[in-house]
Amino acid sequence: MRQFRSLLPAIVFTIAYAVVSLSVTNSYYQLVLTLVPVWAVFGLSWNLLSGYTGLISFGHAAFFGIGAYTTALGQIYFDLSPWLLIPIAAMLGGIAGLLVGFPTFRLQGHYFALAMLAYPLAILYVFEWLGFQEVTLPMKRDAPIAYMQFADPRIYTLLALAIMLATIILTRIIEQSRFGMALLAIKQNEAAAEAAGINTLAWKLRAITLSGAIAAAIGAFYAQVLLVVTPQSVFGMLVSAQALTVAMFGGVGTVWGPVIGSVILIPLAETLHAEAGAHIPGIQGVIFGFAIICVILVAPEGLFWKLRDLLRRRFAKQTTPEASAAPQALQPATANVTALPVARRHAAASEVVLEVRNLSRSFGGLKAVQNVSFKLHKNEILGIIGPNGAGKTTLFNLLNGFLRPDEGEVVIDGRNMSGERPHTICEAGIGRTFQVMRPFLRMSILDNVVVGAYVRAKTEDEARKLAADAVARVGLSDVADRVAGELSTKELRLMELARALAGQPRILLLDETLAGLGHGEADEVVAVIRQLARDGITIAIIEHTMQAMVRLVDSFVVLDHGAVITEGEPEVVTRDNRVIEAYLGKKWVAHAPH
Amino acid sequence: MNKNNKGLTRRTVLSGAAAVGFSGLARAQQPAEVKVGLIVPLSGIYTRPGQVMKMGAEMGIDHINKQGGIKALGGAKMKLVVIDCGDTTEKAKNAAQRMVAQETDLVAATGAYLSSFTLAVTEVTERAELPVLTLSYSDLLTERGFKYIFQTAAPASRQSELGLPTLMKLAESASGKRPKTVAMLMDNTATSIATAKALKEKLFAQEGLQLVVEEIWTPPLSDATPLIQKVRSARPDLLLFMPNAVSDAKLGLEKINEFGLGQGKIPTVSFSITIAEPDMLQSVSTEAVQGIMTIVANWGSKGQEELIAELKAKYKEPWATQNVVSTYGDMWLMKEALEKAGKADRQAVAQAFRTMDAGPSKYYPGGQLKFDEKGRRVGAGVVIVQWQNGVPVTVYPPELAQATPFWPKKS
Repeated sequence: MRQFRSLLPAIVFTIAYAVVSLSVTNSYYQLVLTLVPVWAVFGLSWNLLSGYTGLISFGHAAFFGIGAYTTALGQIYFDLSPWLLIPIAAMLGGIAGLLVGFPTFRLQGHYFALAMLAYPLAILYVFEWLGFQEVTLPMKRDAPIAYMQFADPRIYTLLALAIMLATIILTRIIEQSRFGMALLAIKQNEAAAEAAGINTLAWKLRAITLSGAIAAAIGAFYAQVLLVVTPQSVFGMLVSAQALTVAMFGGVGTVWGPVIGSVILIPLAETLHAEAGAHIPGIQGVIFGFAIICVILVAPEGLFWKLRDLLRRRFAKQTTPEASAAPQALQPATANVTALPVARRHAAASEVVLEVRNLSRSFGGLKAVQNVSFKLHKNEILGIIGPNGAGKTTLFNLLNGFLRPDEGEVVIDGRNMSGERPHTICEAGIGRTFQVMRPFLRMSILDNVVVGAYVRAKTEDEARKLAADAVARVGLSDVADRVAGELSTKELRLMELARALAGQPRILLLDETLAGLGHGEADEVVAVIRQLARDGITIAIIEHTMQAMVRLVDSFVVLDHGAVITEGEPEVVTRDNRVIEAYLGKKWVAHAPH
Repeated sequence: MNKNNKGLTRRTVLSGAAAVGFSGLARAQQPAEVKVGLIVPLSGIYTRPGQVMKMGAEMGIDHINKQGGIKALGGAKMKLVVIDCGDTTEKAKNAAQRMVAQETDLVAATGAYLSSFTLAVTEVTERAELPVLTLSYSDLLTERGFKYIFQTAAPASRQSELGLPTLMKLAESASGKRPKTVAMLMDNTATSIATAKALKEKLFAQEGLQLVVEEIWTPPLSDATPLIQKVRSARPDLLLFMPNAVSDAKLGLEKINEFGLGQGKIPTVSFSITIAEPDMLQSVSTEAVQGIMTIVANWGSKGQEELIAELKAKYKEPWATQNVVSTYGDMWLMKEALEKAGKADRQAVAQAFRTMDAGPSKYYPGGQLKFDEKGRRVGAGVVIVQWQNGVPVTVYPPELAQATPFWPKKS
């Protein structure tokens, strides 16, 4: 039901569009009406990969062109009907996506974008070399409908609309499932997503396969409309650019973006071509480019997000009185967590859940972590301290799989997990937070946390439930619907904690969770961490400020220059001369209380 | 749509209701004007040839109207409707759709320069049953079984077939010996590939030529050195240099001269109008192109002196290329068809093209003003153009030649 309601605008839009197009008899206007959904679908396919994962593809024409040539060549050489060829094209596009994605996902950011750019250009030359410079679809005068050749151009528009609606529905379903959440998480922070237990490579491959399939299907349909296929017209730079243009203009990462972009830009380009171009040939390109630049300057994320933000702000203004009243009413809930008693028994003697043996890692000549060994006991809070640059975060990165150790073992429940991918280690029950916070800014708190729950949850509902529990445990339930971008540092720290908790870890690695917090705020977070420990979670926490730690941890491991200099109970460690020396320098050792 | 609601035809796309037409009204009485279309690239990288075609069309319309318009329609004047087909296949298709949807009283059209564009345009006009004349070469244009396309130029495969033997004769008569070896440097555009196919599969053997170097590049050519080096070491009797972009032609010719192969050391022949475009002189010297020949479907020639003079005076064009002459001739061909049809109706005009037999053609080389069942002009020939003292002049066939050809001799 929730799904149906969210699809309602798309269905209404499609029906309205169909009604308008049915009333248009001018074949030229009808052609433009056909091209709008065609480019919208192409934009949607691009959006499915690049919009949601943030990996910009400059080469979607590769899939589009494969589709177009499938319909053209399939009709010429095998006399197959486009009704059959379009699904075949989708299949080929999906395979192409997989083949392209597998090597290319090794690259990130600009390198990925540039590598993608190369594919259609390379294929373009292959098709030229094969002698397919100009391919025309054979006219079937005797069986036009079997070959998707309609005398009434309105049927093309309806078909394009049907493909568009199907793509929108598919995108919406993906958006609301763990697939979409995984992609969004990858976009906002691939490392955090991986650490939250998401197998990023697998999801990205699924995304590019699906995206390639959709692009190829619409390319195949487009060939049917264009009737003439040339390598330039389906593999050219302008084709790839078209997908980017409609999606970026309308809004990236939303199903409406490419649709809005296409509805505005395609008729605009055509109108300019017909009107301005008739008077000053070539001016249409200038106006079109200028219009796009203006919109991008005013709404860099696209029209959809700009409008949504404007509407939200207006809506928020109207409802301010209620909104400001709510947090006050719910304040006790937060306070409840903080107020819990501090009594906890020391757990140093119990069973070992994580053991680090002789772990080392160098970066060139710098030995960031050398020969570190320690044990983490069940239900213990272990503080890993040391001055800046001591190798604390590197140690965590080795523990959760971001880095591969040069030597040594990380033994979890008796199994050596060193060198495994982060999502695998997360599945094994290790959650982590980051020193530099890595929230998914555009997503609500709850959605941020849901991403972390997928590693345990089988169904969407279960994931939501786990996330809601985790949010409650850190005391953020009353602000769970707010967008992460609006939160304070303390709330973000708690949210990160909740995200790690949602995967139901047995061991939590907390990287400077108290950094940047005021005195009172730090106390609140400390209280939450204590409560977690009481609930049975084993915690390793990095911090370089001693103060808060002394009251929190059961024992310390002190690092300096990548090596363990001492370990033990807080009272002992804080008096250790080597620790004082590492923190304050030699001359303070004399002043230390003994 | 009749001419009274012209305002409506210019509305934006979304006001689609405007399109619900009144076509067919006002058809009863003879119009005072007969509209014909010119659909050519006027924006993007092919703008220049499009503009030149427009010059030809404008002069043609002007001359027809000055000599009394269409007599069979009571002296009705011809009116040119110009449509920009842009620089991509998609834009060409859209422009064609706009042309048939908005300019419903067109009786015929001509276009669209590049054969890819013409292919797309005629897919639309065929369905709208609007007759289209074209100067594009591609064989494919008239192999689709279409009924409303009329190709005035010899198709690509035919051009080399017609041109090469003539060239060989020319070489023999001018230099006293037949070339025996040939080098071929070509880009990989559709036209070049079609030409090369005909040459390799049939013509070289037929003319006793041995292909000693064959190199293909993808435009734009970035460095011609390796290509020309191969030619220099092979020392062929004939070099076929087939670029389709002025920049490629320039690079190649510069390198040919740099290697001391120019000015007749190795006679150089091309197969498109690119190498004889006025733009060439902006980038290479008169000496560098001296003697170079090209086989083309049409060119300004003997008997068209007045037209060429007018072109120079009015548009400051140094000489008349295929684009001018063919498009000018298309206007006269449309007039011919209108006279024959006796009414301003596209079906009647199309039928007139199909059944026309108007004798020798004045503005296309060789053959008749008559089309076969495919829509190809019967007997369409080629002309050979040679650069002589900074101007590419027609040197063959003799009846059209503006100058005598000379065969560059190895000195």
